[in-house]
Amino acid sequence: MPTLSVDHVHKAYGDTKAVHDVSFAAAPGRILGLLGPNGAGKTSTLRMITHITQPDSGAVRYDERPVGPWSQRRMGYLPEERGLYPDLRVKEQLVYLGQLKGLSADAATERVHHWLERFSALDWVDKKTDELSKGMQQKVQFIATLLHDPQLLIFDEPFSGLDPINSDVLRDIILELRRTDRTILFASHRMEQVEQLCDDICLMANGQVVLNGDLREVKQRFGTNTVIVRFDGSDAFIDDLESEGAVRVHARSAHRAEMRLLNETPARRVLQAALDTVDELHHFERTEPPLSEIFVEVVGEANAAQAAAA
Amino acid sequence: MHPIWIILKSEFWRRVRSKAFVLATLLAPIGIVALFALPGLLTFFAADSGDEPPVAVVDATEQLLPHLQEQSSSFTFVPANTSQEALADSVRAEVYSGYLVLPETLLQGEGMASFYRSSGGGLGTQNRIQNVVERAVRDVRLANEDVPDAVESILAASPSLEMRRITEQGDQADATLIYSAIGYMLAFVIYFAVFIYGQYVMQGVIAEKSSRVVEIVVSSVRPFELLMGKVLGIGAMGLVQMVTWGALVSGALAAAGPIFMLFMDPAAYDLAPDASQQAALEAAGITIPSLPLSLLVWTLLFFVAGYLLYASLFAAVGSAVERVQDAQSLMYPVFIPLLIPLLVIGVVIEAPNGTLSTALSFIPFFAPILMVLRSALTEVAIWQLALSWLLVMATFVGTIWMASRIYRVGIFMYGKPPSLRELLRWARYRP
Repeated sequence: MPTLSVDHVHKAYGDTKAVHDVSFAAAPGRILGLLGPNGAGKTSTLRMITHITQPDSGAVRYDERPVGPWSQRRMGYLPEERGLYPDLRVKEQLVYLGQLKGLSADAATERVHHWLERFSALDWVDKKTDELSKGMQQKVQFIATLLHDPQLLIFDEPFSGLDPINSDVLRDIILELRRTDRTILFASHRMEQVEQLCDDICLMANGQVVLNGDLREVKQRFGTNTVIVRFDGSDAFIDDLESEGAVRVHARSAHRAEMRLLNETPARRVLQAALDTVDELHHFERTEPPLSEIFVEVVGEANAAQAAAA
Repeated sequence: MHPIWIILKSEFWRRVRSKAFVLATLLAPIGIVALFALPGLLTFFAADSGDEPPVAVVDATEQLLPHLQEQSSSFTFVPANTSQEALADSVRAEVYSGYLVLPETLLQGEGMASFYRSSGGGLGTQNRIQNVVERAVRDVRLANEDVPDAVESILAASPSLEMRRITEQGDQADATLIYSAIGYMLAFVIYFAVFIYGQYVMQGVIAEKSSRVVEIVVSSVRPFELLMGKVLGIGAMGLVQMVTWGALVSGALAAAGPIFMLFMDPAAYDLAPDASQQAALEAAGITIPSLPLSLLVWTLLFFVAGYLLYASLFAAVGSAVERVQDAQSLMYPVFIPLLIPLLVIGVVIEAPNGTLSTALSFIPFFAPILMVLRSALTEVAIWQLALSWLLVMATFVGTIWMASRIYRVGIFMYGKPPSLRELLRWARYRP
């Protein structure tokens, strides 16, 4: 089974260390979420995986061979910054991009029709790309990524700019690709999407991997220290708990709150406080922290460590 | 299929099939002819003095004025009846374009004529007035001295020089002037073609970068292959255009002789009715330049080499910026070597086989224009052409290597356009 492995990779641009000793692996049939704030080195890492650039040291291997033109043909890449030739018609554009991936013109044409049909977009075939809406262009771009039936897929923020319906179509296709044992890399900073889709995560900050592993394991590592409440009535108890230093609130709306237990505060302490003040309690749950919290915490620590080192 | 070939084909077709390309290919020759004919036409109309006010003549000799009037078609000379002050006022009021004072002593071969005018008129007027006065004075003096007619006609005759060029078959009317014009034109065609197609390459690179599609393409092929495919594809388009133009011009020149024969009457030139086309044309004083095939072939070869050389540099500049406007300052180092040959065209036309002309035509950045110019003007040895062409191609290998190193870095650089120094530093980056 072909695996993608990034092995102690370094990359600097001039004096800027973009990627520093990064290692992780992505297995077929799984989705790896590559996370990190802006400037964490995600795009630099993806460009080395796609063989657009080469590491200064370390190696990127796919199927146990260093990546190169051969792997580019087995790989589909959807960059964060989308772009197509504005003056080419949809079909010509896609056939051209397919040919660059090594397809014959005939095979490319056939695949273009298949995928346009799948996206119910056959009537755009002869439209110029700049006549299409943003969402339509997104779909065309997505088709360009899948056209040559790649085994390794790299999506950089695939959902940005898509409406909910098309997001669903896209998510279904990504899940279908996982079922057919493709290796999928998914870079994003939208945590809820990562939680929904990914099997593994790799969190980067300041060019380094700060957290890496199976998503469920990672979450368990952070313990069930989070409480979610849904209620009607006064929410004064939340302010009380917070001012006591018993909890830290992650997310809060009129009838719902998500908070982290601090200083080994027992969960029942929150339940008690809530029952004392609210009119009705609909939901109480003790659970693992959401990925976004883990993200904030780990990245915060990494930044602090870097500031201390500097 | 090799990626370069796929890219070449795509870049070629998406341009060639456009209406703009078809129109430009068919209409540009007309435009070029108009461009070259225009200065001539303008001079022709400017020399027409039909609307110009007359020149007043203060003729103290009382003999010269009729001769002046008889001599000149471009000035209207009228006798002046007032004082010089009044004449000056009339010139200021533009009643006269000027006034000419001819002292009596002119007829003794002494003194000088004076021409008063308001500003303007240029050197052309001075020369023409001078000629007219000179001839009028000579005619009057010869008439006054009772010189025999024979002497008068000897003095009036001005033997002309006919230039003939020796060829394989014998000799024919020499057409140095026409070949200078052809060389001049070919030099400009190469200059414009290299510049315009180079701009196409630059704009293509910029469009690909600013639409961000370049990232998709270089995740499929090497940046060098993309650059090469683009340069070759646009070059193929240029070649199609140049060959079409060459065929149109050659066709027009080949048709010009027979068309002329249809309309000319051999008897008018004292020729036999079955006179050959060449004889007829020579008798009519018309030279239709024949463009030797070798000149056309070398023009195409040097166009291709010059285009490749400069297009690779234009591509490197394009990769550094996101908008065409930002490319201005980076373009000078590319543009200036292309411009220099145009500044020395005069020198080369003067002495196409001179040391300076020969030396300059071996400098790869100048060779495409200057070699074509030289071979239009004179016989250039094959080895010189071949060597110079190979030097351009060798330089191209160097520039495309350099350009592709800049290009693969430049296409991912967004934001402030770099300085030339930064651009050159990119060539040393590891991608």
